[in-house]
Amino acid sequence: MNESVAPIVEMRAICKSFGAIQALDNVDFYLMPREILGLVGDNSAGKSTLMKILSGAYQKDSGEILMGGREVHFRSPQESRAAGVEMIYQDFALCGNLDVAANMFLGRWPTRFGLVDRGRMEREARAVLDRLKVDVNSVRQRVESLSGGRQQSVAIARAISFDPKVVIFDEPTANLSVPATRRLLETMLELKQQGVAQIIISHRLQDIFEVGDRVMVLKRGRHVGERWVAETDEHEILGLIVQGEDPALAG
Amino acid sequence: MSRRLAPLASWEFGVLVFMALLYALGTGINPDFFGNADALLAVLRDAARFGIMAVGMTYVIVNRDLDLSVGSTVGLTATVFSMTFAPVGQDGPLWLAVLLTLAVGLAVGLVNGVLVTKLKVPAFIATLTMLLIGRGFVLALTSGRAIGYAGKAEGYGFFWLGENNALGLNNQILIFLLVALLGGVVLARTRWGYQTYATGGNLQAAGFAGIDTDRVRIRAFVISSLCATLAGLLNVAQDKGVTSQYGLGAELIVIAAVIVGGTSILGGRGRVLGSCLGAVLIVLIDKVLREGVPVTRTMEIGGQLYEVQAMAQLPPGAVPAFLGLILLISVLIEPWLIRSGLIRRLFARLRGAPTPPLTLDSVAIEAPRTGGTRLAASEVNARGWQRLMAYRETAAVGIMLVLWAVGMYLRPDFWGNLDNTFNLLLAFTEIGIMAVGMAYVIGNGDIDLSVGSVLALSGATAAFLMKSLDTAPWLAALIGLGAGTVAGIINGLLVTTARLPAFIATLGMFYMARGVAAWLTAGRQLNQFPESYNLLGRKLIHSLESWGMAPVENSWLHDLVSALSTQTLILAVLALVFGVILWRSPLGYRVKATGGNRRAAEYAGINTDRVRFASLLLSALCASLAGLVYIAFFRSFNPVAGQLRELDVIAAVIIGGGSLFGGYGSVLGALAGAAVITLIRAILSLQVISSSGESFVMPQHWVNVCIGLVLISAVLMDIWLRQEGLLARLRRRPAPATPPPALETAP
Repeated sequence: MNESVAPIVEMRAICKSFGAIQALDNVDFYLMPREILGLVGDNSAGKSTLMKILSGAYQKDSGEILMGGREVHFRSPQESRAAGVEMIYQDFALCGNLDVAANMFLGRWPTRFGLVDRGRMEREARAVLDRLKVDVNSVRQRVESLSGGRQQSVAIARAISFDPKVVIFDEPTANLSVPATRRLLETMLELKQQGVAQIIISHRLQDIFEVGDRVMVLKRGRHVGERWVAETDEHEILGLIVQGEDPALAG
Repeated sequence: MSRRLAPLASWEFGVLVFMALLYALGTGINPDFFGNADALLAVLRDAARFGIMAVGMTYVIVNRDLDLSVGSTVGLTATVFSMTFAPVGQDGPLWLAVLLTLAVGLAVGLVNGVLVTKLKVPAFIATLTMLLIGRGFVLALTSGRAIGYAGKAEGYGFFWLGENNALGLNNQILIFLLVALLGGVVLARTRWGYQTYATGGNLQAAGFAGIDTDRVRIRAFVISSLCATLAGLLNVAQDKGVTSQYGLGAELIVIAAVIVGGTSILGGRGRVLGSCLGAVLIVLIDKVLREGVPVTRTMEIGGQLYEVQAMAQLPPGAVPAFLGLILLISVLIEPWLIRSGLIRRLFARLRGAPTPPLTLDSVAIEAPRTGGTRLAASEVNARGWQRLMAYRETAAVGIMLVLWAVGMYLRPDFWGNLDNTFNLLLAFTEIGIMAVGMAYVIGNGDIDLSVGSVLALSGATAAFLMKSLDTAPWLAALIGLGAGTVAGIINGLLVTTARLPAFIATLGMFYMARGVAAWLTAGRQLNQFPESYNLLGRKLIHSLESWGMAPVENSWLHDLVSALSTQTLILAVLALVFGVILWRSPLGYRVKATGGNRRAAEYAGINTDRVRFASLLLSALCASLAGLVYIAFFRSFNPVAGQLRELDVIAAVIIGGGSLFGGYGSVLGALAGAAVITLIRAILSLQVISSSGESFVMPQHWVNVCIGLVLISAVLMDIWLRQEGLLARLRRRPAPATPPPALETAP
């Protein structure tokens, strides 16, 4: 990685507690452009909390967030979206009763004479899906009638349609079949080609090892280590997750 | 707080203190009644029956269910007993009467339980329908008459249950204590009780732990229903007779009692002791509200001042307004005052100690949404006929046509003529107008149980203004709409700001709006409004004539406006405007997105609170418009206006393709559903002349029973055919044993 390139996202000394529980304790985080970062850790390690702070769903107690070198404050998911951060939730956060096109334009449906312009919406939805090389039967299909993998494709397409700089995947392979997981990993590489930085929150190390550039390990709200994917193996990362001691840092 | 003082801080102690204060207030208002020692016993005697029902209701609410049918079960069981036992009825033996009564009570509980658990009907809909059906049976069996059998009762020891015993204490109080003790011990100390708490606290976890949660919930409904049966039996034992009014509105007192007693509407928490104290408290409040205040009025008659002694009293129908308010307040106290730590903060502030943090974040009194609907992709790929069938509105339109044909078949001489057609249209208007608003509310995944009462509220307001204050018709109509708007705003605030589930918020409004309506009109029928107001309920031609704009006679326009009613035009405009908005406008999409997946809608930047607020407001506005039309059409306000109409309206929307789980529904479908309901009512009320020349008309009570059955069938069809795709699953063998897990999970 070229040292002169500035990180696209930087989080410094983030703290967050829920009542008596310290969920995040002085966590530092950075993400380079075009990078695919795997964020791993046990349950309650603070992965989701950290990402929800980045996506504006939670508010940090202290610390600072910088995007492209400038400090930002996200008070809602809408504000982080405006800054170019998109999150794809584990359950995709789609409305099953609406069709694919209406879901991709959820909350910002194009209108004409005060009514929703279905023609334009369907054309644009189709265009984004094509760009992503996702094959959905018809944009008029109701989302609940799609398989889990297709639903996720819709969620990703929706995220892409905002032209984000950063996409966060929350446990993206948890609900997917094996072929759907394959397709997802291909989509991630496709996005990387298009210049989108990505963060994967996952339990499944093999996915991260397949597409990721770097792994960051959290344990009990603390940043306990990170590795280049090319320079480590699953065994070492597992050791970090379980023991939470980084021999490289300790030594 | 020290350990010794801890019991003093308990919820039950608060209820006791409140009760003592209230009793003192009652004594202050009317020392003649409340000052008397017997008064306490009288309050206790009346509280006994409600207390018994509250014991059963505690089980249901701890399970996170609700039983709205207890009041009508009291009436139904009392009626069944009386009709079996009374000389004017079957004149049967006592044992048979008691046995039949118990069987009916058991059956009601089982049906409620099975509907809610095995058939997945939301509890408030299942038990509200049961209320309607039970009331229909009561009226049908008694024909609305009072039935007495004091003579025959002489020789039976059974009736001693309702009498005072040697100690001067009424036996009902002893039975209440016995039931409370038994119910309390079972809930607090036995496996049944632990299973109940587990089921209410976390249904899924309880199920995973091997508890048969369906059985636990059915058991609670049966316990509740049997408690209501016992209350019904005690009622007839005391009165040795029955009227069709028995148990009317009792569910409000019972539910309020349980909630006031500290049971959480969200399940998992509550004690029988609290419910019993709550029952006494609510009955006491009821008594105080019904108590007259002695007042002295100074009147001038013929230049002479006279002092007149009188009793200022609330009209009887107005009491539910306060009880509904108490129900809502007590639902809100627990999460907003206790759990949020507001009280602790207040005490700390008073002592000057550091204030503990406000934990409003943790206040989540809305039930998590379940559901997530599954449908085959047939709609997209279907062509022609199949494509038509895939529309959710198709069924309603089809049924509508079939029903019309049935009517034509039954009475070919009468059905097809113009008079009948226009009568149908008029009956259709009332349900249709309310169905427009309800389509939005149900599309959001909420429910509005208050539309019938809001109809009455706006009608009563306008009628009262014109009648008592000689307000100009247009202003009266405007204020009537305003009253409905206020009701809608309260509903909306309760649901969005106070975060109450819609069914409980609008259930409170269900009682409050009708109570205020009864208060305004003092329970009377108001009529003789200015004829300019009544134009709202006449043919269009009458309005045009009064404005001097009538078209020339014998023109087609003249024929049209002579045939068309003003209200039909109102409905048409309303349906067109709001139909298009729901179908294609961003607001309509927001409604459906909110109903489909509220969290996803919020992430997408949709202000779902605003959408839900607007829908509830629209629903109340439609209902108040229907109320204004109602009093103009009938030229009078009747206190029972719109009673239980909400069930017709909900049924209309569901039949028309709406789903109680939200995300679906259209105005077109809702109107087709309203037509179905109207036609069913019309067909059931038809005078059928058989080939032998005998004529038969079904009494109105049975019609209500049938409407109840229609509603429950519509909900069942929606759940099982549309949501669960039962037909598709049966066709596609081997069928999966369980439906795939819902995608929606808590964040």
